[in-house]
Amino acid sequence: MRLLRSITKVRVIIMGKYVAKRLGMALVTIFLVTCLTFLLMNAVPGSPWLSEKAPSEATLAALNAKYGMDKPVHIQLLKYLQNLLKGDFGVSLKMQKNRAVLSIIGEMFPVSAKVGAIALCWAVLVGVPLGCLAAFKRGKLTDSILRVVCTLGISMPSFVVASILLVTFAGGIASLKIFPTIFDASAGWRSYVLPCFALGFYPMCYTARQTRSAMLDSLNQEFIKTARAKGLKNSKIIFKHALRNALIPVITYLGPQVAFTLCGGFVVESVFSIPGLGRYFVQSIQNRDYPVIMGTTVFLASFIILMNMVVDILYKIADPRIHLTKGGE
Amino acid sequence: MAEDKKMKRCPVTLQPDVEGMLSWNDFDADDFESASQEEKEDFIQERQSVSYWKDAWRRLKKNTVAMVALGVIIFLVLFAFVGPYLVPYGYEEFNKGAENLHPFHYALEDQKRLEAEIAARTQTDTMSVDDMIEQAKAEAEAKGEKLSNVEIAKIRAQAKVNTQNTKEEDAVDPEALLGELGIKKKLFGYSTAELERKAAGESVFPHVFGTDMYGRDILVRVMYGARVSMSVGICAAILVLCIGATYGAVSGYCGGKVDAVMQRIVEVIYSVPEMLVVLLIATALKPILTEYVNTGTGPIKSFVAVLGPNLISMFIAFGMLYWVTMSRIIRGQVLQLKQQEYVTAAKALGASGGRIIRRHLIPNCIGQIVVTTCLQIPSAIFLESFLSYLGVGVSAPLPSLGSMATDALSGMYTYTYRLIIPSMVLSVMILAFNLFGDGLRDALDPKLKK
Repeated sequence: MRLLRSITKVRVIIMGKYVAKRLGMALVTIFLVTCLTFLLMNAVPGSPWLSEKAPSEATLAALNAKYGMDKPVHIQLLKYLQNLLKGDFGVSLKMQKNRAVLSIIGEMFPVSAKVGAIALCWAVLVGVPLGCLAAFKRGKLTDSILRVVCTLGISMPSFVVASILLVTFAGGIASLKIFPTIFDASAGWRSYVLPCFALGFYPMCYTARQTRSAMLDSLNQEFIKTARAKGLKNSKIIFKHALRNALIPVITYLGPQVAFTLCGGFVVESVFSIPGLGRYFVQSIQNRDYPVIMGTTVFLASFIILMNMVVDILYKIADPRIHLTKGGE
Repeated sequence: MAEDKKMKRCPVTLQPDVEGMLSWNDFDADDFESASQEEKEDFIQERQSVSYWKDAWRRLKKNTVAMVALGVIIFLVLFAFVGPYLVPYGYEEFNKGAENLHPFHYALEDQKRLEAEIAARTQTDTMSVDDMIEQAKAEAEAKGEKLSNVEIAKIRAQAKVNTQNTKEEDAVDPEALLGELGIKKKLFGYSTAELERKAAGESVFPHVFGTDMYGRDILVRVMYGARVSMSVGICAAILVLCIGATYGAVSGYCGGKVDAVMQRIVEVIYSVPEMLVVLLIATALKPILTEYVNTGTGPIKSFVAVLGPNLISMFIAFGMLYWVTMSRIIRGQVLQLKQQEYVTAAKALGASGGRIIRRHLIPNCIGQIVVTTCLQIPSAIFLESFLSYLGVGVSAPLPSLGSMATDALSGMYTYTYRLIIPSMVLSVMILAFNLFGDGLRDALDPKLKK
C-alpha cells in the first residue's frame, strides 16, 4: 500500500513537471505567433484609413498619433504586448469603429464554437463506430463501401461539400428545399444542419479511417486472442478490449481536429454567412483592421494551442503505458 | 558413365551421393574448350537482380486502385498542361455574344421552332406602340382632325397596360414547351452567332463546359485552374521535401544538444495553427512581392514576376510551416539507421557527416521520403483551394479552381454547372493523389501494409 502511494506520488510529480513544460512551450508559441502576426501586419503596405475617401495629411498624422501608429514598429509591439498582458486587445479601427475587440470576440466566438462543437461531436460519434464496423467487417463489402466514402470525404474540401449540400438541399432541387441557405440562429435547428454537416464531414471520415487502422492493429494483438480463447462474446471483445486501446490514437488526433474544425470554419462560415469569428477574421484581413486581426489571431491561436496541450495531457493521463519522462516521443 | 554401377539409393536417405561425387572428376577432352561469349553471358545473366524500384513498381502494378489513380493523374496533367493549347480560347478572353452559355445548346432550327411556338402562343395582335400611334394619326387625318398629345399619351398608356397583361398571361414555360415540342438538348455550348457560323461551314470550337457571365470559356479556365493547383501542389511538396529532409536528417544524425534544440523549434512550429498563419502570410506577402516586382531589379525579380507574387507567397507560407511532419519522419528513420554497421564503416573510412547523410542515410529512407512527399501534394492543393476560395490565393485574371467556385456561388441555382465542374475536378485531383500515395506507401514499404 505504501509502495503504491509512493508510486502515485512520483507519477504526480512527473505529471506536474510535464504539464509545466507543456504550458511553458504553449506560452512561447503564443508569444511567437503574436510577434509574427504583428510584424507581418506592419509589413503590409496600405493602412486602415486608406480605403475610404482619401484623408488629408494632417488628419492621417492625427489618426496615426491617436492610435499610436506613428511610433517605430518595435515600440508598437512592446506596447501591444503590455496591453495584452492587461487583457486589453485594443479597439476596432474600421469595421465596428471604436468597439473593443474583446467584446467583438465575445459576441462572435460563441456562434463559431457552437457550430464547431456540434460538427466535431457528430464527426466523432459517427466516425468511431463506422471505423469499428469497417475493421470488424474487414475485406467485406461494408468495409469497401466505407473505405470509398471515407477516401472521398478526405478528398473534398469543405466548401465543395457545402456547395453540394446547398445545391441539393437548399433550393437547387425544388422538392428538397428543406434547409435555409443563409444561417439564422433564431430560426432553430434547421439552420445548423447544413453547416455542421459540411464542417464535420472531413473530420468524420478522418476519424473513421484512423479508428479502422487502430482497431485492426489492436484486433491483431495477443490479448484479443486470449479474450477469444476465454470465450468472451464478440461485442465484449470489441467494446471492452479492442476499442479502448484503439481509441488512444484517435484521441491524439482530437487536438488538431479542433483546430481544423475552427479553421475550416473560415470557409463554411463564409458560405453560409454565419456571423462567426472565422468569417470576421477573414473580413478583418481584407479590411486591414489591425487590432481586430491581431485580436482574433491571438485569441484563436491561443485557443488552438491550449486545446492541443490539454488533449496531449489527457492522453498521457489516459494511457499509463506512455512514459512521461521521454517527452513528446 | 556407367549408370548400372550406381547403387540403388533410398530416396530419403541423408547419406551423400558418393557415386555422383566420384563422377565429378571424369572429364572429357571437350570440357576444356574455352566457353563461347554466348555461354559466358548466359552464365552471368542467369538471374537478373531486381532493384528496389523495380520491385516496388511490380507491387504497384498489381494494385489496381493505385494504377487507376496514376492514370487519372496522368490524364489531369495532360488536361492541365497540354489542354490549353488545343482549345482556341484564352482564360481571360471575353467571347462577345457567348455569355452565360450552358454546357448544352439547342440546334438553330429547334431554336426557331421554339421562338415560333412562343410567338404563336402569346397574343399575336399586339402591335408596337408606334404603329398604333401612326394608325391613330392616319385615322384622325382621314377625319380631318389632328391628334392631340393627350390622345397619344392615352394610346401609349393603353399599350403599356396591354403588354403588361400579355406578359402576365404569357406565362408559357419554355422548359415545358421544350418537352412538348420534343426538342432535345445537344452537347456542348454554342452561342447563336457561333451556330450560324457553323451552319455556314466554318469550324467552330464548342464551349464544352459553357461560359461564364463575361463569356469566358469554362473549360479553358478549369484547365488553367488545374494547372495552378497542380503546380502549387508539386512545388510545395518539393519545397517541403528539401527543407524537411535536410532538417530532419541533420537533427537525427547530430543527436545530443543539437537535436534537442532543433526538436524544440519543431515542437513550437508544430503547435502553431497553420491555417491562421498561412492566411496571414499569404495576405501580407502578396502586396510586398507585388511592390517588389514593380520596383525591384535583378534575376530574382524576373523570377518572381514569371511565377507571380501570389504563388510565391503561397509557397513561402507553405514552406515555412509544413516541413515539420516531413522532418519528424526523416529524423525517426535516421535515428534508427545511424546505428547500422555501414554508417560505422563509413565513419571509420573517414567520411564526413554531410557525406554520410547524403550517400548513406537519405538513400536508405527514400521510400518514406517519396511517400510523404506524394501525400503532401493533395494537402497543398487543399490549402491552395481554401485560400483561393477565401480570396487570398491566386488573384484576378488567373483562374483557380477555388476562386471559380466562389465566383459561381452567386448564380448557384441557375448555373449549377459552374460550381460543380471546378469542385469535381478539384476533388478528383485530390482523390487521385491520395489514392496513388496510399498505393505507393503499400508498394514501397510492405511492412506498413495492413
